[in-house]
Amino acid sequence: MLFFQRKDKSLLQAIEDAEYTVLDTETTGIDPQKDSIVSFGAVKMKGGRIDIGSSIYRLINPSRGINHSSIVIHGITPSDVAEEPLIDAVLPELAGYCGNNLIIGHFISLDLKFINRELKRIGRTPLKNHLVDTCRIYEWLKSNEGSFSRHYSGRRDDLDLFSLAREYDVPFAEGHNALGDAFITAQLFQKFLSRLPGSGVKTVQDLLRIGKA
Amino acid sequence: MTVKDVKEFLGNIQPFLELDDDALDNIAGGVIVEFYPKNTLILQQDGPPSDFLRVIKKGGVKIFISPDINEEIVLDYRTEGDSFGMLSIIRGDKSRANVATVEDTICYLISKEAVKRLLDSHAAFSEYFLKSFLNKYIDRTFSEMHNKSLLYGGGDKLLFTTTVEELSSGNVVTVPQEVSIKDSAEVMSKRKISSLVLVDQDNLPAGIVTDRDLRDKVVSKGRNTADPVSSIMSVPLMKAEAKEYCFEALLKMIRYNIHHLLVVDGGKLKGIITNHDLMMLQGASPISVVRDIETRQSVEELAPVSRKVNRIVNLLLKEGAKAGNITRIISEVNDRLLRRVLEMAERKLGRPPVNYCFIVFGSEGRKEQTFKTDQDNAIIYEDPKSAADGKKAAEYFRGFSAFVRDSLVACGFPVCPAGYMASTPQWRQPLTVWKDYFLKWINTPTPDSILFSLIFFDFRPVHGDTGLAEGLRSYLKRILKNQNVFFARMAAVVVNNRPPLGFFKSFIVEKSGEHKDELNLKFRGASPVVDIARLFALELGLAETSTFERLRALRDKHPIITELGEEMEQTFEFISLLRIHHQIKRIEQSLEPDNFINPGNLSNLERKSLKESFQLVLRVQDAILELYRPGMVTQ
Repeated sequence: MLFFQRKDKSLLQAIEDAEYTVLDTETTGIDPQKDSIVSFGAVKMKGGRIDIGSSIYRLINPSRGINHSSIVIHGITPSDVAEEPLIDAVLPELAGYCGNNLIIGHFISLDLKFINRELKRIGRTPLKNHLVDTCRIYEWLKSNEGSFSRHYSGRRDDLDLFSLAREYDVPFAEGHNALGDAFITAQLFQKFLSRLPGSGVKTVQDLLRIGKA
Repeated sequence: MTVKDVKEFLGNIQPFLELDDDALDNIAGGVIVEFYPKNTLILQQDGPPSDFLRVIKKGGVKIFISPDINEEIVLDYRTEGDSFGMLSIIRGDKSRANVATVEDTICYLISKEAVKRLLDSHAAFSEYFLKSFLNKYIDRTFSEMHNKSLLYGGGDKLLFTTTVEELSSGNVVTVPQEVSIKDSAEVMSKRKISSLVLVDQDNLPAGIVTDRDLRDKVVSKGRNTADPVSSIMSVPLMKAEAKEYCFEALLKMIRYNIHHLLVVDGGKLKGIITNHDLMMLQGASPISVVRDIETRQSVEELAPVSRKVNRIVNLLLKEGAKAGNITRIISEVNDRLLRRVLEMAERKLGRPPVNYCFIVFGSEGRKEQTFKTDQDNAIIYEDPKSAADGKKAAEYFRGFSAFVRDSLVACGFPVCPAGYMASTPQWRQPLTVWKDYFLKWINTPTPDSILFSLIFFDFRPVHGDTGLAEGLRSYLKRILKNQNVFFARMAAVVVNNRPPLGFFKSFIVEKSGEHKDELNLKFRGASPVVDIARLFALELGLAETSTFERLRALRDKHPIITELGEEMEQTFEFISLLRIHHQIKRIEQSLEPDNFINPGNLSNLERKSLKESFQLVLRVQDAILELYRPGMVTQ
């Protein structure tokens, strides 16, 4: 039972005190089996505080072609990354950056599929951090919190990051950049965090219950 | 929102814009972003000290103290670009007030350590927090406003935009340098010119002869006029390049104390430019308008001149004049205009049967007019010796004042809606009657009598027998001595007009609503300062009527002004300048100049200065409340 006790302790931490890594990646395409990462960006949060200076951003040479449809989204062309290091060199840095933080992201499980596939490929242990999906928190807030729903009335079909940013008055510039998107996600998560305790979501365990990816 | 965004934001607001790039990078990299929903209490009075300097990125907060449960005194509202928590960082003991968000707010947090490092290493940064606000920021606001004014209608800086060529007279009259002085003078008088260029055998300019040379070197010296003109010519010739700006030409004239310059283009003589030409160019200068006024013979001729006043103000603003100087010049010009009208009235109606003094009051009396303001004037005349004399005087001044009123209307000064003009019988009276008015206003406490006191006690003479006005002034001083009840009533009026600090609250919370508050800068901004200065000046028996003069005279005389006089002057200067700028802008858009400003049109710095100004006035009003409370009657 020792194992569970230790685990319990970190799960019982208040969400205002927990440490988070907010992460976003851009890829060559959308197939986690075939496509690769061309950039990632992340920023740390302690509770609701975004630590601007802690951010990390890396471009990666995917050593394969980039789908045209993806280039249009993130604007990273093959020549942009030709000189950049290979993913093998950068991934360990990312793993170290995340430490044992909760990892926050918009549809974060997809990002993690790319990351963990590559980690396995280079013979390292995949990330086992708890993952929290901002999209899932959003949906939970919408359906569960009365006053919240009233405040932000109307359900939406577009659950993409920019649509939610617009709804929550988070400033953003069009165009995807992994770090920029990580910051937008962080600000969105920041707004969620300020409301969650009022809805009974107080500990990391509660947060995982509603937002686990 | 990346480090770059944070840096850009901070780099545009005080006091961070004082920092060099490295320091800014450093600060931006260490920033923490926090979000607080509406009504979040961020700092608590008597709670632990702040660990951060918080800069509001978005939203707004109120700073308040709660001396008691259920009681809340708002000290300040802060909005985007403002910061809070500094004092508590410096002192490090506890938070002195509550800070709560009044809307959803995002703050940039800068750590205590980083702030302390900045305080140690950047003097400008610490100055921002440690010195009194008004002393340092209003100057900066002035230069900001000044720069702004340079942007619109920039073509007006004529001296800097007009080339010498455009202004010079093209036909230069030349004579060979061998001709006699007498012949040269004949040419000059025949051609009605003030200068003559002398040329050599090759027809190249060799020198110049001007009126001044004839006067100084010939007539006064008794020189023989048969001598060749070359014996009196001025050499070397001072030249101006055709493409030079007039300002350069003016500088040369001033430097060499000459009035004529040859205009050359590629070495060839193109013309001549005189100081008279340059003076004509500055047709809108105050001096030229005043001179213009003096030469007009009828009201019809005078009216167009009065319209030039706007141009003067514009020019003065662009040259960076302070509001105090601008209003004084406007008043000076308007005084001359009024005097000219009065002279015309005297000429038309004959000499008045008794001596009189034409007085002005209100903003005119305080020399604080901006643009065309209502007429505020009256006539004091000598006490008539008999009833018949009295009737004659009354008859004369009836026609006289009607002429003055109508002439001023023609010159663009609308009638006073309340009828505070000499053309109203009540306001053209013998000295004795005026003394009775004053005595009655002071001794009978009616709302009217206080109102009249506020308006008329700022009177000053403009024309006629100033002794009459001086007599009334010294009488007023005598009867105001120890009138504590009267002053308490006046004080009650003064503290009644509180500057609207809540204005800034509405700016915070209602910026997107359709109810955008506008602020009357004259009544809510300038008037409280004017009223305070008047109250103290009358109480101490000072004869000054302008607010600046009063504040200056009150230094060392009144405890409140001794302490806060300098800041009061700056506050008044700032509010006045803001008003003038606003009105000029309206005029440039062909709108009526008014006193309503929209907070949305103010820059961050202007808003801040205005708020500080209001806070200062509130402080003084609170001090007045303490001082006069015993005798104060609620109006």
